[in-house]
Amino acid sequence: MSEKMVYLQPVPVRIWHWLNALGIVTLCLSGAQIRFPEYISFLGSYRSAIMLHNTAGIVVALSFSIWFFYYKIVANSLAEIYIPKGSDLTTGLFKQIVFYFFAYFFGAPNPHHATPKSKFNPLQKSAYLAIMFVLMPFVSLTGILLMNAGPMREIVMVIGGLKILVVIHYLTACSLTAFIFTHVYLATLGSTPLAYFKPMWTGWEKVEHHGMEHSQVEHSH
Amino acid sequence: MKNRHFSLLIKYAIAIVLSIPCIGAGNRADAADYSFGDGASKNAACIACHSDQSKVSGLNLLDQNQFGHTTHAKFGCTTCHETITSEHPGVKSAANTTSCGDCHGDTTSQYSASVHAKNAPCSGCHNPHRVNTAIEIPATEMNKQCAVCHTSIKITASHAKWLPQTGLHLGAIACITCHSKAENFVISIYIAKRDGADPESKPTLMTYEELHIYSKDEDVQYLIDRNKDHYISLDELRKFNNDSSNKDMYLKAMFTPVKPTHSFQTFDNRWDCTFCHASGSEIMQTSYLSFPKENGVFQQVAVEKGAALDALRAIPNFYLMGSTRNGTLNIIGSLIIVGGLIMPVGHGFLRFLSRKNRQ
Repeated sequence: MSEKMVYLQPVPVRIWHWLNALGIVTLCLSGAQIRFPEYISFLGSYRSAIMLHNTAGIVVALSFSIWFFYYKIVANSLAEIYIPKGSDLTTGLFKQIVFYFFAYFFGAPNPHHATPKSKFNPLQKSAYLAIMFVLMPFVSLTGILLMNAGPMREIVMVIGGLKILVVIHYLTACSLTAFIFTHVYLATLGSTPLAYFKPMWTGWEKVEHHGMEHSQVEHSH
Repeated sequence: MKNRHFSLLIKYAIAIVLSIPCIGAGNRADAADYSFGDGASKNAACIACHSDQSKVSGLNLLDQNQFGHTTHAKFGCTTCHETITSEHPGVKSAANTTSCGDCHGDTTSQYSASVHAKNAPCSGCHNPHRVNTAIEIPATEMNKQCAVCHTSIKITASHAKWLPQTGLHLGAIACITCHSKAENFVISIYIAKRDGADPESKPTLMTYEELHIYSKDEDVQYLIDRNKDHYISLDELRKFNNDSSNKDMYLKAMFTPVKPTHSFQTFDNRWDCTFCHASGSEIMQTSYLSFPKENGVFQQVAVEKGAALDALRAIPNFYLMGSTRNGTLNIIGSLIIVGGLIMPVGHGFLRFLSRKNRQ
């Protein structure tokens, strides 16, 4: 068995990832207090929950810009990494689903091998495509509109009013919360529970060259 | 019997004397109408001059329609202007009035106890010749009354020190919602102009005349109350909002007290955002749509319960975070989050059972 270190997560990606993680968890907690103030008050007063939610929202929106700028302009690999290929959709998705929900339990290896140019397996690509190109823009844009409901009221009116915005914002946020649970859990599916967390912190992935190769499932995002 | 006749003669004599200066003022009635006796036109002798700009001015001039609508008018001019004599208008001092507290004792003592009383008498806010009940005045007008002394620049600046989204808050809440000791609140909905200077912070309501153009000479209420049952359903609200011919208007909902008191001050619990933002669905259930009437006052029409909670365009631009959350959406959101636990819980359980296969 030989081991090789691969530089999988460059600095901008790691900064973005952890800013995003901190921001989204803060948004989920403060958002929960804002929606259910009579049951949840762990962030102090309602006003502080609002201030924190607004600040975290701006941080996440900015970190989203870092992500987009890095992948699109600096690395120019946005489409390559995030858009599923034809083979991903025809056979890749199926293989990956079989692995996660069947083969994994029998000790079979992950059919996908992460590289800097192909970080995600087909299932990840589809999930991240929806998250980064649909859910994140939706939750950010509705958040920006809600934060500026007065000045941007004409856009709000065109969309159908504050209520519609809130519905989109809330349901998108719930979907992202659901994603966090799945995301963190899948990140523990490496050779050891922390194997996928380390590269997102240090940048370096340890790749083992033997029969039990795994994919860098969650950490590579 | 003789006494009764004598009394009647005196009354007629007074009426005739009073009517003399009003000759030529138009709208003359029978001599009996000039008495201060019972009847709808008992104020006619006074009104004949006091609604005529050529005869009186300033506070002595009153709008016949507005005055006629007040409860004060039903009591008659001389109930308050009790010192008036047959010498009037020759003797000007005859216009001495009674005190508001003579009838509104509780309100006056409540008001006198507040710091506000040092700065303004009753007449500072209320003109007794055109007073309306609280529900007949839109919240926007009530706020304008406060702004006569408390300029909107100062109000905005002082609230901005602690209140996020200051403009939105001040445009959606009656001042007396927080600054009077009210305990129950409702959502009052008005029809506002969409193209105002600042529609959210300083809404401009549609006037009766403007709405009348849209209602095509029908009662303006029927613009929304399409089935004319004097009750506004959520469906009727949605139809109004979705009707492109109403694009210049929008429904402006405001958080208003049911029974405002005259103890004007800042209450400690109003600093706490959750006073409103966790008020729950009970308060949000009740709303009224206020339509302007021809005489300038507003009339409330009951709205189906839950309009403020409706996610589908009943009152699109009213949202009170924390309180107007929609119950169905809460369930859908919870199901989505629970869906996210399928992998950690379900997969994790099978992973645990099959751990030996991966060693």
